[in-house]
Amino acid sequence: MLGFLLVVLLIPYLIAAYGLLFVKLRWGLRLFGAFIVATIGLLTAMFLVEAYPIIARDGVAVFLQTRWDPVRESYGVLQALAGTVLTSAVAMALAMPMALGVAVTINEILPARWRGVFGSLVDLTATMPTVIYGLWGLFVLGPTLQSLVNALAGSTVMTTPYTLFTAGVLLAIMITPYAAAVIREGYSLVPKPVEEAIYAIGATRFEAVLIKLRYVRNYIIGGFFLALGRAMGETVAVAMVVGGNFAKFTTNIFESGITISSLIALQFPNAASYQYMAPALFAAALLLTLFGLAINAVAIYIIQRGQI
Amino acid sequence: MTAERKVEDITAKRMLINWLGLGLFALLGVAAVVPLFLIIGDVYIKGIDAINRLGGLWHFLTELPPTPVDERGGIGPMLVGTLYMTALGALFGIAVGFPLGVYIGEMRREKFANVARAGVNILVEFPTIVVGLFVYAVMSLAKEDLNKYLLDPLSKALSPLGGWITQFIGPLDGFNAYAGAAALSIIMIPYVALITASAYASIEQPLREAAYAIGGRDFNALFVVLRKAVSRAVVTAALLGTAKIAGETAPLLFTAFGNTYYAPFTGPTGAVSLWIWYAAQTPYDVLIASAYGAAAVLLTIILIIFIVARIRG
Repeated sequence: MLGFLLVVLLIPYLIAAYGLLFVKLRWGLRLFGAFIVATIGLLTAMFLVEAYPIIARDGVAVFLQTRWDPVRESYGVLQALAGTVLTSAVAMALAMPMALGVAVTINEILPARWRGVFGSLVDLTATMPTVIYGLWGLFVLGPTLQSLVNALAGSTVMTTPYTLFTAGVLLAIMITPYAAAVIREGYSLVPKPVEEAIYAIGATRFEAVLIKLRYVRNYIIGGFFLALGRAMGETVAVAMVVGGNFAKFTTNIFESGITISSLIALQFPNAASYQYMAPALFAAALLLTLFGLAINAVAIYIIQRGQI
Repeated sequence: MTAERKVEDITAKRMLINWLGLGLFALLGVAAVVPLFLIIGDVYIKGIDAINRLGGLWHFLTELPPTPVDERGGIGPMLVGTLYMTALGALFGIAVGFPLGVYIGEMRREKFANVARAGVNILVEFPTIVVGLFVYAVMSLAKEDLNKYLLDPLSKALSPLGGWITQFIGPLDGFNAYAGAAALSIIMIPYVALITASAYASIEQPLREAAYAIGGRDFNALFVVLRKAVSRAVVTAALLGTAKIAGETAPLLFTAFGNTYYAPFTGPTGAVSLWIWYAAQTPYDVLIASAYGAAAVLLTIILIIFIVARIRG
């Protein structure tokens, strides 16, 4: 009944909001603001309710166990948590230098008329469907990385093309544009007098770049956190290349693993056959939501504090 | 003499570091976009070949997908599903995202506008699978009552219009195109809102005063006069958002679910992205080929929208 009211009341609410736009504009606009805030609140509340059975049964242990064994109704998401942290770490380590490179290339190195083109290419990288990244990772990147890593190490470090490392590299490509966008924005806001002062003391181009990057460090940190949020939440591409290993806890990035979001994507279709699996997956989603909220709060705080 | 030599040395060293450093940044920047070309090349080379093998372009765009034992097949039902859900999602996303963007862009001084802005910033970063799961949870709560009190009577009342209406309106299954469209619109709203907000925020104060002076009411000033100043940015935002949701997969997994037949939108509905996700992970060559063909089609749709947005914007 509750859900029914929710869906049915949505339509009159939006009609009222539109009506108010004509009559009392400010209140109409406020209703739209309230709509978005309510959506986020409802989302969190919904996950709390749906996850309640497993939290009532296991308490926080559901986040601290490593055993994912639906047959015995034992659900631990720690290996997925570890997988999320490891893939995000690999992704961030590769993505941040590339994002800095993008920002500097666009603002300093390229001639003015190529900047737009290069910027568009970076934006296109962000717009590309994630499932196409997954497809490429599955058939091109995974096998390539496997032979590359094994050749570099001189032994078979990667026994399968689909590992946490593969997922991390693929993620790095996907999230670079998000970090780059924030850094680019900050970089273009460096005041002209500051730039002139840097060159006036005889700095070379490269030294000027370093000083400017230090000047916009808040944007770099903010971009880092925003990209991190993306990396942790990315689902489809990661699920296709991460290997889908629920059973074994691993911290070796060259082994198959699982992340929280890919756990949800891969296991939810089976959830109806088990009593506690759906609540456990909703608990995982809740965890992901709380991470997302925390990371974004930090990122927004840092960017706003450091606004030039 | 020696002092001069020293200065020259230092300058030479600094210039060397300068070029090396800039070169490194350029290399990293280029490294970020090289995969884009590799992916587009890979998808088109294998995809066009696959489309030809599976029965030509028209056959591929309209026919049912292949089963593992078929030689030919297409992505017809998924293409229809993607177009329908993307259109609905984009429509709703713009309808809510635009006024929301006006609110957080124009009324920055309000406390609640800042709360809403934080909400939008959080929502734009939200894991898309979480949005899908949320819509699934709401749908499973609302479905039964919705069918009983609203959709059954409605479909009976509309039945004189003919059978085609049951393709669009009728009792909902747990998975349906409207849930998919709802999930897509939740993803689209913050995109449109943020770009609209920054477009409105960048309007200069004199222009705003002039708009209020000739517009009279708030509504006319904001939506009629100033709309002209921001229309370009807003159209770009709408197009880019549409391109983004056209390729989304994760939010559709538990809302539209996927389907390989032409079926009413009130039941499980296929999407091109869902088909790629499913078919690429099967061991059958013909399905993997169709996944590549589907990827080429999806990429073409998105590239067209993206290029139109760039040329306009």
